Amino acid sequence: MKYITANSGTVAVGLAFGPVVPEFVTANPDLIDYVEIPFEQLRHAPETGVIQETVPVILHCASMSVAGFVPPDQRTLKAIERAAARTKTPWIGEHLAFITADPIEDDDAKPTSLTYTACPQMSEETVERVAINLASLQQHFDAPLILENSPQYFEVPGSSLSMADFVTAVVERCGVSLLLDLTHFLISMLNTKKDPLSEIERLPLEKVVEVHISGLNVQSGIAWDDHASPAPPVVFDLLERVVKRVRPKAVTLEYNWSPQFPESILIKHIDRVNEIMRC
Amino acid sequence: MLARRVHAIMAAGLENPELLARWQQKPDLLRAYGVDPAAFDLDAIRKFAGLSAKVKHNGLRSELPLTFHFLNVSGLEIEIFGAYALHKARAGTRYAPTTGERIVELVDFLRDWLDFGKREHSQLWDLIRHETALAQLQKLTPSSKKCRVPHIVGEIILHEMKSDPRVIGKLLREKSFDHERVPRCVTRLGYWNAGDPDEISIIDLDELGFNLLSLVDGKRSLTDFNRLLGRGISKKLNDAFAELASVGVISLGGPLPRSFN
Repeated sequence: MKYITANSGTVAVGLAFGPVVPEFVTANPDLIDYVEIPFEQLRHAPETGVIQETVPVILHCASMSVAGFVPPDQRTLKAIERAAARTKTPWIGEHLAFITADPIEDDDAKPTSLTYTACPQMSEETVERVAINLASLQQHFDAPLILENSPQYFEVPGSSLSMADFVTAVVERCGVSLLLDLTHFLISMLNTKKDPLSEIERLPLEKVVEVHISGLNVQSGIAWDDHASPAPPVVFDLLERVVKRVRPKAVTLEYNWSPQFPESILIKHIDRVNEIMRC
Repeated sequence: MLARRVHAIMAAGLENPELLARWQQKPDLLRAYGVDPAAFDLDAIRKFAGLSAKVKHNGLRSELPLTFHFLNVSGLEIEIFGAYALHKARAGTRYAPTTGERIVELVDFLRDWLDFGKREHSQLWDLIRHETALAQLQKLTPSSKKCRVPHIVGEIILHEMKSDPRVIGKLLREKSFDHERVPRCVTRLGYWNAGDPDEISIIDLDELGFNLLSLVDGKRSLTDFNRLLGRGISKKLNDAFAELASVGVISLGGPLPRSFN
């Protein structure tokens, strides 16, 4: 098994696990430093973990509902613990979002579980909730939890903070490090009509440990996350801004939705990230 | 507005878009949960449910690559998967467990939902049937049949289209795609697996050939065909059968009867 070291001093470049990754890693063994695998994928298809015989793994997660009010069940937490221990992940990236919520009709009913994380209400109330959840969740893991900014597709009722203010408030309140998803950030800025290049400067970039890059598309009047499309140039402009203030430990390209994603673009974008990191 | 309550309502709507439709029609239903209906962008939440449904169908991309590309460049992904999520919620059914079943269910949904008067919808319908036919036949290894009446050699899927999906595919591979550049033309195609799933043929058919193939069922005899289609076209029928037999797509099961000559 191969493992990544958290403090190697260089910026690691990796890919989110997807249909093109095993073949890509075999064909290009020296191009990437790690593969990021969602815990949920390891749980439901443990054979995906075999890739760690070839390349180190960083664990990602969408099950802890860090910004929610319904905690994950103990079995899920135990399974994440085991996956973290087995992979020796240097950190666990989790969404600053919710994936479970209270039932609306009957307090005794089971919580509503989603299959896709949702941007929470961005308010002081949620910031406090994140602090409580993080303190509880972190006890389960040796590796630090880091939080990934959500894409904001619409105004969540009761929100009193902008995305930049919300992320900043969470970092200040919890001291947590960030997984900065530049595409999520760009999507949020497009959907709330803010300038991404100036807003990104308002984030606590010195807390960024990992960066995510993927594509987006605009449909039905809203910008959406799209891991089947290449990131537009502005995402790399944002990365340049980030790098002026912090050297992240890892940059992950998330092109994991399509088995047809062109290898030539993967290589081009890995080269582009490396080029930015050298500047 | 309490975050906990807001999350509960968002999650309920995302998990069951039928609720979103109901709340859109009767906003007061939301007041019963102690929230202001005007604060919720229900249309955007419905679209988000569409994104979630789309992601659940990523497994179909390997068999329907052009369809997904078309949905993306046409800006139809969110609209279609949003409507599909609502459809499934109304039906109270889950997405099928296998890729093959999910494709069949999606195609069934599109058959009813698409507006064939819209050019993009019509092109999508042609494209998804094209790729579905290829995907289905690539999974089959047909057994050879011995039969005394006309029958298909192997397996065939027939589609009549308003455009040529091969042309749409070619245009999709170019840098930018424009629906208007796809010529409108009735295209009748036979997707044919003669016995080797690695070698699927696509046969261009004329109207008579298409209709004949759609009637060849391994039960009707040549005499039945002659009776069914009228004696006046015996010669044409003969020529069409002979041509299809020469391609190998059908076997006549015996010599042409004298009445055909």
